[in-house]
Parts: sequence; structure tokens; C-alpha cells
Amino acid sequence: MRLKARHDQKGVIPTASMADIAFLLIVFFMVTITFEKDKTQVALPKTELRFEVPKVAAYISVTEQGQIRVTDGEAMSTPVPSVDEVGAFAADLVRKYPTRPVVLKADGDVQYQQVDRILDELKQANVELIYLLSEQKTVDGDGQSG
Amino acid sequence: MRLKQNRPDEEIPTSSMADIAFLLIVYFMVTTTFAATRGLDFSLPKEDDQPPIVEKEDSVLIEIRATGQIIVDQDPMEVDKIVEYLAPKLERNPKKPVIIKPDSDARYSGMVAVFDTLRQAKLHDGKLVMRADRTDLTDEEWDEGKDINISIPTQREIQSFWF
Repeated sequence: MRLKARHDQKGVIPTASMADIAFLLIVFFMVTITFEKDKTQVALPKTELRFEVPKVAAYISVTEQGQIRVTDGEAMSTPVPSVDEVGAFAADLVRKYPTRPVVLKADGDVQYQQVDRILDELKQANVELIYLLSEQKTVDGDGQSG
Repeated sequence: MRLKQNRPDEEIPTSSMADIAFLLIVYFMVTTTFAATRGLDFSLPKEDDQPPIVEKEDSVLIEIRATGQIIVDQDPMEVDKIVEYLAPKLERNPKKPVIIKPDSDARYSGMVAVFDTLRQAKLHDGKLVMRADRTDLTDEEWDEGKDINISIPTQREIQSFWF
């Protein structure tokens, strides 16, 4: 006797929840995203103690080669030709935003002379609060050699 | 007699919803950067016409050489021994300034390492202790301690006000 041909059910992958998962991921990225005003790549010094830097802050970045970029926290950072220009930038910043902190994002290997002159310009411009950006120092003392 | 109507199911088409959502995810993943947003805070003193003159003799001077060597009051010292050295001095005079003076050719990370170490110590009940040695204290209790009076003068200030 011939068997009656079976009617297979259509195989369907349920995709209804895909959008829910995707939107959850979107919400995560939207909450965590911060549009960095300064994208300079530097090897930051490592410290054990670290405090959260305010979201709205001016940035001064210094690369190992001594190239300096500045931003008041409103626009993307722009390069400045020398440390002397940092003074003018800081004076302008304090005039516009008197209480805005300045974040110094300097490479750990940069000569202290550079940092010293930047700190001096900031002091003279009456900047109140500075953050020295750093990375977390690990327990094995990674990153600090002399 | 009423005729039976065969109406198709009404549905909002949502099949492209996931495509749109994943496009947005890709956009956020490409533009996002997990930025380093932590560091050491550092309050700058107000630039006065007549700043207080700090005599070298009244303070502890920590010099950082170009080689990375740390000299505390003329003696070479390891960074983790500084607090131990400072303890008796600051316990006698908690306001004693501790001056960090890196050489021009020293690395910036050398100054940050010393500053980081000094910031981890506080005076509690008249004793200078490191945070790691007082795990019995809560963060609030720890914050009640007195900070070391750290000063990082710039080269210009050193030339102008030290004599």
C-alpha cells in the first residue's frame, strides 16, 4: 500500500525578538557613548589613584614628540604651534567659562619641561582645577620604570 | 444569508525593523571609543601678587632627576619609601609643605608617580598612613583625614620666589 505523502510543516526561524535585542543594544551604546573632543593617541602615565573627570572639560593633549592640541570642550581639538599659544587659549577659556576644569592628557614619556610650561600658563590664566589624565596602574607595577 | 468574508490578517510589517536597528548598532560601534576619563585632580593655587614665600628649610623637597632617580632632601630614595620618610616630619608639623621639583629633562610619568604616592597618604589621628594600610576605614572615614600639603611649583615660580 502506498503511504500518503506527508505534508511537512514550514520551518521558520523566529525573528520577532531580534528587533528588541537590537534596540536594547542601541540603548546601551547611546547611554555609554561620549563624543571625544580630542582623539590624540598618547601613552598615559599609570596611577593607582584615579578620579572621574567631569564630562564637560577643556582638554590639552601633549604627544611624546611635544605636539600640543587644545579644545575648550565645545569643539574638536585643534593643534597649537607652541606652548606660548596655550597661555592665550587658557586666558580665553577662563574668560568664557571661569569654572571649567582643564584635563591634561600628556604622554608619560614627554619631557617635564613641556608640562611645566603648560602648568605655568594655566596658573597664570587662573585656571582653578586640573586633571592629570592617567591609566590604572596594575598590581604588578606595570608601566612605571624609573 | 450572510456571506463569509475571507479577510487577510492585518499586520504592521516589522521584518525590516531588525535591519534598521542593526545598522544603528554598527554606527554606534564604529563611532564609540571607550575613553580614559579618569585621572588625578590637582587644584591650582590662585595667582596672587604676593604669594606666600616657602623657605626651602621649612619644607620637604622631592627632586626627580632626568634618569628617574628620586632625591628627597638630598638623599636618593625609592618612591615607595617616601611616605615612610615623611611620616615623622608631618606628624610633628602636619602643614609642612612637600615640594615636588622634577628636572626639566625628567619624564612626566616620574612626577605623576610621586604625586600619586603622596595623594594615597593621609594623616589620621596624627599618624601618616597609606590608604592600603587602613582598609578598616570606609571611604567616607578615609576622606576625613588630612591631605599632605603638596606643592608643584613651576620653573618660573621657583626662579621668582625662591632665594
